[in-house]
Amino acid sequence: MINNIEKTPNISPHLKTNKTSKNIMVDVIIALIPVFIGSIYFFGTRSILIVFSAVFTCVLSEYIWQKASKKQITINDYSAVVTGLLIAFNMPVQTSIWTIVIASIFSIIVTKQFFGGIGGNFANPALVGRAIIMLLWPAQVAKYVTTYHASVDAVSSATILSLLKNGNDFSQFTKWDMFIGNIPGAIGETSVILLVIGFLYLSYRKIVNPVVTGVYLLTVVLITFVFGPQGLFTGDYLTHLLSGGLMIAACYMITDYASFAPRIRVTLAVIAGILTAGIRLWGIYPEGACFAILITNCLAGLVDRIIKPHIYGMKLKRDKV
Amino acid sequence: MKRQLKSYFYGGIHPSDGTDKLLSNQTPIKYYVPKRIEISMMQSIGHVSKCIVDIGDRVTLGQLIGIPQEFGTANIHASVPGIILDIIKVDDEHDGVYDVVVIETDNNFDINELYHNKDYSKQLKDISSYSRETLISSMKDGGIIGMGGAGFPTHIKYETNKTIDTVLINAAECEPYLTCDHRIMLEFPFEIINGVNLMIKAANANKATICLEDNKADAAKKLQEILENSNLPIKVKLLATRYPQGGERQLIQAVIKKEIPIGKLPAELGVIVSNVATAKALADMTFNETPLITRCITITGFVNKPSNYMVPIGTLLNDLISESGGISIDGDNKIIHGGPMTGTCIASNSNGNGLIGGVLKISSGIVVLGDEEIIESPCIRCGRCERVCPAGLAPFKIDFAAIENDLSLCDKLYATECISCGACSYVCPARRELAWRITIAKNEIFNQRHKNGGK
Repeated sequence: MINNIEKTPNISPHLKTNKTSKNIMVDVIIALIPVFIGSIYFFGTRSILIVFSAVFTCVLSEYIWQKASKKQITINDYSAVVTGLLIAFNMPVQTSIWTIVIASIFSIIVTKQFFGGIGGNFANPALVGRAIIMLLWPAQVAKYVTTYHASVDAVSSATILSLLKNGNDFSQFTKWDMFIGNIPGAIGETSVILLVIGFLYLSYRKIVNPVVTGVYLLTVVLITFVFGPQGLFTGDYLTHLLSGGLMIAACYMITDYASFAPRIRVTLAVIAGILTAGIRLWGIYPEGACFAILITNCLAGLVDRIIKPHIYGMKLKRDKV
Repeated sequence: MKRQLKSYFYGGIHPSDGTDKLLSNQTPIKYYVPKRIEISMMQSIGHVSKCIVDIGDRVTLGQLIGIPQEFGTANIHASVPGIILDIIKVDDEHDGVYDVVVIETDNNFDINELYHNKDYSKQLKDISSYSRETLISSMKDGGIIGMGGAGFPTHIKYETNKTIDTVLINAAECEPYLTCDHRIMLEFPFEIINGVNLMIKAANANKATICLEDNKADAAKKLQEILENSNLPIKVKLLATRYPQGGERQLIQAVIKKEIPIGKLPAELGVIVSNVATAKALADMTFNETPLITRCITITGFVNKPSNYMVPIGTLLNDLISESGGISIDGDNKIIHGGPMTGTCIASNSNGNGLIGGVLKISSGIVVLGDEEIIESPCIRCGRCERVCPAGLAPFKIDFAAIENDLSLCDKLYATECISCGACSYVCPARRELAWRITIAKNEIFNQRHKNGGK
């Protein structure tokens, strides 16, 4: 534009943030490291095998798919690694490896790549992987055991939520056990403290929005407290908060970028909270977070249409007409 | 001074940590007179004035050399006394045909005499002898255009028939690296306040607010000290530093707390926004009879001596780069005209000698940056672009629509409301050139509307 300047590739702005997609995924992986270590501590070295097979299958299937369909190879952004980690963390330690492989392939190929790759998936890939296993091979993900550090030896045991659901006694597990993760469950979901540490790191790095997580947890706590087994306001909300997949869902699933559209995140978090608590209290499953978030993912399009964005200068225009 | 830091425009980013402005914001303005200048007849993008001088003519300082020939253009004056060596005809595929007047400067010309020891630079002037009409016509005669970047002729803005309540003086200078407005506020505070006072009169307004970001607190203090001993209806307002605070619509939202309706001008809300350098130009024209022939420009980034210069319009960019000690980066570089967020890249991998052209009335700075190859990766829908968009758009959706060439969808997503600030492209972790594609889509929509006879 200045006189007859030579034309150069001219795309403004000329400054860009140094935070890339890859940095974000690496930060998520860093945040999940304490959970990974915790899973080895509580459930033994088989956790490593589970995590490794899930991550390996995810990355490999993403690579093969993109190679076969001649698309840009995006395994370098580590998003498949994150999906793999989350699938693994949602499986109990006794799950057979072929189950995990199927869940991983399904997550990456069907949920992610069929819908256009990273960013295109309508639902959280890791949760879809888990849901498919829960529906097709329910026995595979029902083999829960007590941890290495329980007062008894590692024996098969029901999760706290199913004990709670069936009205059984679960007093052998203290609230402290639930907090640190010394309870039966999927390898990555039991330890509230380790999940929260990772989550705080992500919040500090401004990768996730803590408000969404807060709203989701608050909704679940409120509903489980109000609709208690002995009438209103008697619910054991603390057990609901500290056990099962609620924390991993709140920290890592609901904050997933693609499945929760940014503008409507908070509304979706409330819906997901109501559904989670609803399934736990009145559904046939003891655990509600997985299906609740998947249902909410499906509602995202509708909510997006109802809640209109505010465009600068729009409101005044509407007032005038 | 009461600090009011809350500003309420939507979105926005912090593209820098403030160190970029430190390169040059403590460097006093240097006066520089080049041996040879090249004044373009296109002083703002796409608006060409008509050249009225010939090769060999002798021009005096401030002599009219270009006159407006279409809406949106203004007078252009000789910024140095001297002899016209050449008139270059430029035929540019993007910007059209225009003349560039080359002048050789007289040896005895001293730019310092222009501004020094004038009474309006030491005291507040009584302006009761000026009427609105005389001020608007002196804006027109002086060739004063908005010096913030858009370059719209100031007199057209002030000729509005709407009732104006407030004149907002835009001194936000939210672009990283640029410090020219900061420096003129520190070094020409009386000129600016006199100019603002004239602007109130020219707009028939009640009051004016000079809006600065809080990284220019020293300038705000200086202006405030002058205003304290006067009874002028001028306020100084500090805003929290955030890009794009200096966007006209964003500034109004931050200060007046109202939004300009879509498709309307600020005058609709009784507001006129003018750049702080424009205020100084009006004071120069009114009290000193100097048309807009000089401006302050920042040369910064990877140069050896980042500085601010007061130079005649048309000063060669090459001269300014070598005056600043040359380019200091070894690797790939790009030279940007304007701020790094909205400016245009005028050369890449240059050694600082290959620049063609001179300073325009809208040139706020020349920034030399390192160049890196940007590889776009797929959108991960993190929503950062939507969060920072000051217009409230969903840039990633418009980006998808633009790639599919679906202009009607772009229109439905309000691509036309994009202000091209570049905040979305800045934050995008997938490094997508969102602002670039949206701006193309926006211009395409406007073209189509124009073709269809719409507005």
